[in-house]
Amino acid sequence: MSAAASPDPLHQLYASHHGWLHGWLRRKLGCPEHAADVAQDTFLRLIGSRDALLALCEPRAWLTTTANRLIIDRARRHAVEQAWLNELAALADPLAGFASPEEQLLAAEALAQIAAALEAVPAKAGEAFLLHYLDGLTHAEIGERLGVGPRMVRKYLVQCLVACAPAEPT
Amino acid sequence: MNRRLEETPETLAEQAADWIVRLSADEPGERRAAESGFAAWKQADPRHAAAAARLEALLGRLDHIRDNGSQAPARQALRAARLRRTPRRIGAALALGAALLLPAWLALHSTPAPVLLADLRTGSGEWAERTLADGSRLSLNGNSAVDLEFDAKTRTIALLRGEILVDVAPDRDRPFVVSTAHGSIRALGTRFLVSREADATVLSMIESRVEVSIDGQPRPLVVGAGQRLRFTSGDAGELATVDGELLETAWQRHQLVVRNEPLGNVLDQLARHRPGLLRYDAAALAGLHVSAVLPLDDTDRALQLLINNFPGLRIRTLTPYLVVVDHPKTR
Repeated sequence: MSAAASPDPLHQLYASHHGWLHGWLRRKLGCPEHAADVAQDTFLRLIGSRDALLALCEPRAWLTTTANRLIIDRARRHAVEQAWLNELAALADPLAGFASPEEQLLAAEALAQIAAALEAVPAKAGEAFLLHYLDGLTHAEIGERLGVGPRMVRKYLVQCLVACAPAEPT
Repeated sequence: MNRRLEETPETLAEQAADWIVRLSADEPGERRAAESGFAAWKQADPRHAAAAARLEALLGRLDHIRDNGSQAPARQALRAARLRRTPRRIGAALALGAALLLPAWLALHSTPAPVLLADLRTGSGEWAERTLADGSRLSLNGNSAVDLEFDAKTRTIALLRGEILVDVAPDRDRPFVVSTAHGSIRALGTRFLVSREADATVLSMIESRVEVSIDGQPRPLVVGAGQRLRFTSGDAGELATVDGELLETAWQRHQLVVRNEPLGNVLDQLARHRPGLLRYDAAALAGLHVSAVLPLDDTDRALQLLINNFPGLRIRTLTPYLVVVDHPKTR
């Protein structure tokens, strides 16, 4: 972040709306810490966002829409993380194969990203993706399994990968 | 803002995706051609390389999951997220509602079906008290679940998970039974605590006596006030002494009282009062015993209090949902 001069519109936006957004989130979420995190992330999302202009015209509408989306993303991420770690914990030796809890978390993060992508594509495309990249089936095997031709399998895979690509570089 | 069409992030991702799919095509010839083509494409523009790297990192993690044979847990985790679809379609308001219900929802989806369908259930850090139809009092500790089967002949509480305190109303005609996977505890009128651990059931008597029938054991065992029995299927452990009154006070104050217990067991008990997972390095904790009174409504503090007694150990909060206790030197 550049040390911007005082008329930086982002600074102004932050100064005039951060307190309000935090209050709004606190009322929604009933948890001050969670609210503070989401408020922070919402403003971070603004930096480098392509619709920053929109944010400047309609700041509160943009902030609440973005914050809502972040809440859903976080909920999904936590659900995936929780389910994944619980599943691993249920295995006989949960740490087998994963060198460290950090590594398990990286895997959980990837799964959360994939979970978000799968919501955006047709069910068959998602299944093709998992069969190929998780289970290691070949394109032909997937086509047979899903009753579609090889071109369609390829299309499904591309579609999922595109959905997996994060919209904003992080 | 005046990017050429082929340079928008969307089309970049599409091109990268297209190459990546060709990399794992069925025909070896196509895979080889894709390898060199993809390399050239990445070299042509740093944005190409960046778009490719993001997807490759993601697929690398999936490979890792596959190498570890963890496909099933991964699919389960994805399924947990997929259940969110419905609220999302209905609308943002509902989706937000679902997000607010998250703690309950998380408990729901990380829980085996019998516990989900249980008659009474509490989440992490949640306590509940209920007067049953016969006048008996039942309190549930955090993250506990029971099924109630009351009829003309019996009063049975199946403890599916967690810990309960029962204060049995006398009824000569209908015995009161608490059953677990490891056996059953039969009482006439009495007060006691039953706790279900992963592989054992722990009974702590506060008042009077009960009869314990352990699966695979021919004769029932009598346990009296001030005694504690830890049993598994087919195996009754030694009777130990407990201070029933202290246990009951602690229960009312939401405290955990432990006397010379293995640290790992105590962490397991704390874990039940927290959302998410509490992991520990069993090897590092082996042989460590602890006596303490710990606040269950503030498990962060309880953890800190515990660990303060063991300077060699550390707590790491990796996310709010994963806390690890280990020994820095053993890693």
